[in-house]
Amino acid sequence: MPRSKVLHQATVTAHEAAGRGFRRLVLRAPELASDARPGQFVMLRVSASIDPILARPFGISAVIRRQAIELYYRVVGKGTALLSTVERGAMLSLQGPLGNGFPEPDRDALPILVAGGSGFPPLLFFAARLASKPVVFLGARNKDCLVPATAIKCCRSHARKVYITTDDGSAGKAGFVTDALTAFLDGSRERDRAVIYSCGPRAMMAAVSKVAADRNVPSYVSMEERMACGLGVCMGCSVAVKAGGYKRVCKEGPVFDARVIDWSEHVVLPVPNGKQVK
Amino acid sequence: MPIKIKTQPDLSVSLAGIRLKNPVLTASGTFGYGEEFKDVVDLNRLGGVIVKGVSLKAIKGNPPPRIWETPAGMLNAIGLENPGVDVFLSDKLPYLRRFDTAVLVNIFGYSLEDYVAVAERLEGVPGIAGLEVNISCPNVKAGGIVFGTNVKASFSLLSALRKATKLPLFAKLSPNVTDITEFARAAEDAGCDGLSLINTLLGMAIDVRCRKPRLANCTGGLSGPAIRPVAVRMVWQAARAVSIPIIGMGGILTAEDALEFILAGATAVAVGTANFVNPHATEDVAEGISAFLAEEHIGSVRELIGQARIP
Repeated sequence: MPRSKVLHQATVTAHEAAGRGFRRLVLRAPELASDARPGQFVMLRVSASIDPILARPFGISAVIRRQAIELYYRVVGKGTALLSTVERGAMLSLQGPLGNGFPEPDRDALPILVAGGSGFPPLLFFAARLASKPVVFLGARNKDCLVPATAIKCCRSHARKVYITTDDGSAGKAGFVTDALTAFLDGSRERDRAVIYSCGPRAMMAAVSKVAADRNVPSYVSMEERMACGLGVCMGCSVAVKAGGYKRVCKEGPVFDARVIDWSEHVVLPVPNGKQVK
Repeated sequence: MPIKIKTQPDLSVSLAGIRLKNPVLTASGTFGYGEEFKDVVDLNRLGGVIVKGVSLKAIKGNPPPRIWETPAGMLNAIGLENPGVDVFLSDKLPYLRRFDTAVLVNIFGYSLEDYVAVAERLEGVPGIAGLEVNISCPNVKAGGIVFGTNVKASFSLLSALRKATKLPLFAKLSPNVTDITEFARAAEDAGCDGLSLINTLLGMAIDVRCRKPRLANCTGGLSGPAIRPVAVRMVWQAARAVSIPIIGMGGILTAEDALEFILAGATAVAVGTANFVNPHATEDVAEGISAFLAEEHIGSVRELIGQARIP
């Protein structure tokens, strides 16, 4: 029984392995589905248990027949491990749609979508809703981290062109997604009409926004932070902004004009040998 | 046979002279300034709202990461981010005043003078039922915890505030002390009208791969059901040490959790981290208390305050 515009009980109508370690989850939640815009997210409670206690944020990757939303995730911790055991027909509580979503490009703009690692779901939704076909860049460390095949297929059906890169060359072109993006922009006669939207690891989005800023191309980023409430009250998901202070990813974001973000904010990347990199 | 008239149980309580329609409040820092929950919670159904802490000047807060989830709880080190008392008065309070609910303003400062200045700013403002004094934030070096873990310092601060305001004053105590009753008595002696406890427990988590703390602030405050037994114990101890009323809090998710605090001696309760998990938690807790009273044939929630049967 929905109690309000944002609280929902949804039925799991599909939940399966989607390849490359990803799982695909479809939740029937008609009100949420008909309201959702690309770039928005949901806070999903993976079980009724209090451990883990918090809901998890997931970007919406598609709305299916205005009835259901589609999410992709990988099992990375306790919450997603529990989620992976949820069966078809089960009910899950969630809040959404939350956040601001991607701003729509002008009618004559060339939308460029840049997805890194697990950051593709909101861009998948965006690609499907865009009036003019986008150019899509999909990047990953290696082929095992790449977007699942079903999602690539979906991209291809909505995009003018899909470029795939992996850092190690195990799939697509070897190199960073930003190298491919740079080559495209510098070789394109449509550069002055380009608008870039990216979602992925922070380092990638920082690099994409630099490529964009250096060429005076507008760019938007969908930020990810650990989140407790999704309603703008816990102040846990704040990101530093150039103007000083912080903005909440759940409320003022998750999509920001890339020029607003303070990319110098210290980030720690874990590496296998235990040595930290800054 | 006498006719049984089914009456609704009486949920109202008097908290240091503030009439609450039910004993359920929102814990400071977990409910913003109320408006954030406009689509989710009917504020008219809550006993009161304790707003996010306000200081004299705006505070931008700590760098991220600010939160980390832990077993049945979470660590936070937000750093008391808030827009400052003037913005609170101009932009936040007018919304809250539209509702029939008690508004308690949580205040804090970096110095005694700061605290007093905030209290003075709120004095005589219509729509404010009382002040909750944060002397216990573990995440800001100067503000809060310095007062909250030193009996003499908390007594002087609360005494100064007592002189500065006629509003009912609630001291929010830190659990990061050896003997909570010392602090409870100091607050009562300083003239406080009530106590709020507990604030978060100081905690820490480390990423073993990076060998770095999970929070940029290194340490943070632990909240959620993980701390509930500690909170119930402290409310029980404090209730036996003082005669002023207590707002009990710490990991309340359900009506049953809230009732534990009430039986331990709390007159009212505050729901905190649960608001993040289930935004409707406050209303659920109030409804659940009502259902429990009906089921147990108890006429008023007041009959349960401090009624844990201690062997």
